[in-house]
Amino acid sequence: MSFATKSPWVIHYDGSSCNGCDIEVLAALTPAYDVERFGIINTGNPKHADIFLVTGSVNERNIDVVKEIYDQMVEPKVVVACGTCACSGGVFHDCYNVIGGVDKAIPVDVYVPGCAVRPEAIIDAVVQGLAVLEEKSKVLQERKKEGK
Amino acid sequence: MALITTFEDITIADLDALKHQKQAEGWRCVQIFTTHNDDDGSNDLTYTFHKDDTQANYRIKGITDKDVIPSITDVYFSAFVYENEAHDLFGVNFEGIAIDFSGHFYDLAMNEPMTIMSPEKKAAREKAARVAAAKAAKAAKEKAAAEAAAAPAAPAIDESKLAGLDPEKAAKVRAAMEAKAKREAAKAAEAAAAAAPKPAPVIDEAKLAGMDPEKAAKVRAAMEAKAKREAAKAAERKGE
Amino acid sequence: MSKATVIPFGPQHPVLPEPLHLDLVVEDETVLEVIPQIGFIHRGLEKLVETRDYNSFIYVAERICGICSFGHSLGYAETVEKLMGIEVPERADYIRVILHELSRIHSHLLWLGLAADAFGYEALFMHTWRLRERILDIFELTTGGRVILSAVCVGGVNRDFDAQVLSTIKEKMDSIRSEYKQICNAFLKDSSVKNRLVGVGTLTREEAIKYDCVGPFARASNVAIDCRMQASGAYSRLSDFQPIVEKDGDCYARLKVRLLEVLQSMDIIEELIATMPAGDIAVKVKGAPVEGAQASNALEQPRGECYYYALGNGTKNLERMRMRTPTTANLAGMTMAMKGCDLADVNMIVLSIDPCISCTER
Repeated sequence: MSFATKSPWVIHYDGSSCNGCDIEVLAALTPAYDVERFGIINTGNPKHADIFLVTGSVNERNIDVVKEIYDQMVEPKVVVACGTCACSGGVFHDCYNVIGGVDKAIPVDVYVPGCAVRPEAIIDAVVQGLAVLEEKSKVLQERKKEGK
Repeated sequence: MALITTFEDITIADLDALKHQKQAEGWRCVQIFTTHNDDDGSNDLTYTFHKDDTQANYRIKGITDKDVIPSITDVYFSAFVYENEAHDLFGVNFEGIAIDFSGHFYDLAMNEPMTIMSPEKKAAREKAARVAAAKAAKAAKEKAAAEAAAAPAAPAIDESKLAGLDPEKAAKVRAAMEAKAKREAAKAAEAAAAAAPKPAPVIDEAKLAGMDPEKAAKVRAAMEAKAKREAAKAAERKGE
Repeated sequence: MSKATVIPFGPQHPVLPEPLHLDLVVEDETVLEVIPQIGFIHRGLEKLVETRDYNSFIYVAERICGICSFGHSLGYAETVEKLMGIEVPERADYIRVILHELSRIHSHLLWLGLAADAFGYEALFMHTWRLRERILDIFELTTGGRVILSAVCVGGVNRDFDAQVLSTIKEKMDSIRSEYKQICNAFLKDSSVKNRLVGVGTLTREEAIKYDCVGPFARASNVAIDCRMQASGAYSRLSDFQPIVEKDGDCYARLKVRLLEVLQSMDIIEELIATMPAGDIAVKVKGAPVEGAQASNALEQPRGECYYYALGNGTKNLERMRMRTPTTANLAGMTMAMKGCDLADVNMIVLSIDPCISCTER
């Protein structure tokens, strides 16, 4: 198991959400759910992060920001779309300024539904994301070997 | 001391005096918002002020693309947020906003999105217009039928005609005229009855009285269903 | 000779839960001017009245913001009821106010945690959010949701509180109260907290009035405005209500106002539980608003006064629905409060207005 999956660092960004999912992401860090015991830390620096937690149905102005953060992250990286709005646009899918879900801006690995998404579901999604991270990490290692 | 809300209509020219008066009296600017009128494409601006327990709303109606609204940010600085928003979302033109984002306050997917009618609203409006037209046509038809029924029956006995005839023939013609008049009246009455709403056929309680409760319930249900069907049929006939 | 530089702040920033962009014009370490840029969360909700009828729109209204969610559903329902002349049963009024005050407590506890994190006191952030979980337990027990409650409908509330639930609420309140006093002491008496907050981002009373500030931001500058003074709904049944006001107008005063408001809300909830009347929880709502009818309303949300307006057009869809949230009104005050502060204090001042950008932009 690669050491990234033992203690993944997450970065969280609000992509035009109502904040409900964001506060549940933060609640996952607090003593009631406490993901820090798994070594998960919330960082503000995209270059330090392994997992990108995005919430919200992205709006016109936010597409570039979300893409920018995704591009700044270093491989291997996993994107988790938290909440119904991030998965498909949710209740706002027909609003004029909304593009309808994070996967229209960046590639998503794990989708977590819920309005607002529950902290237990977020933890579950991060664990599934770890499996994806593991795979990506293996592929990177093999490519490096072939490259040599 | 419940909240008292007032609504008043003003013009663009009143705005200057209004803002100075409100500031002098110590009113707080609550907000400014725009309403779009789909009928003529104009906008209405509503300014809201608050003091003690009163919330006063002032509306300027019929603002077009050519109107330029003087900004109130020289007196109420916090209004720059609302004025920029009104410009971006509705296309209302202001002059002299303290911090003017010139259309980049919100970066939107389309210009002046609130002025575009959504397809659902358009469909709803067209449907409402069709329903209103149908209603008007029906009302006109009913009115005509009522007038026909109420119209004085054609003079039943035309005395002038009978004057020149000999008595026996006159009596026969008179009888024929009366019969015709009766027939016409009956036809008019029938037409009026047809136009008037039909009362739902009553559930025959007498029939149900003598049966045992389970059977009575079944028969009652059947009678109600029949009554519904008849009413629907009558309505269909009326609508044609 | 020092030159002025422009430093971009946000939209992605560790201290900001929401995207907000500020252009800080800085000379050495002092901020000269601030130009705010919002628009990262604008979804265009007010246009959705065209496609959702007035009953379904309440589900959109409560998703304007996840923190002030209940407040928005309550304000919207009250405005539509005013528009259509519907009177809500008394028991429903009480339930609404109890849930609204619980929402206020949860919002203030959330803010206290973020403020503690912003000045580096992470343990306090963990403690306040741990206490906040008890309020979320009450929400889950009564309405089924932790964040989005869907408890209000036009005409009343969706679920009733039986005696068991009310006594559970009271128990949880009592358990929070004792631990909360310790947290208050940690915030107010700690010298490191005082060093970070006293004298920072001061707004005088005249400035607060001039820039039309609302909510705890204004009350910390000695301006006594609070929509609960207009006593609508079950607020009119309270024995006494005085808004909590502080005189200094700096970040410390804003902290104190919010800390004390939590205690005030707990008292309000206890009083309402004790005097709750029996009765229905909703009236049936039929028909549609009259064409051209308008109604406006104001509600004291955790962040301040929220203005609502509804215009009917004879159909089940409203013609226009407007919500002006407190953070929109406080943006001007915030930019003024930041003038002349240190660069390191910028995030504290931004947080001290309790910004809810998703509310601002809808």
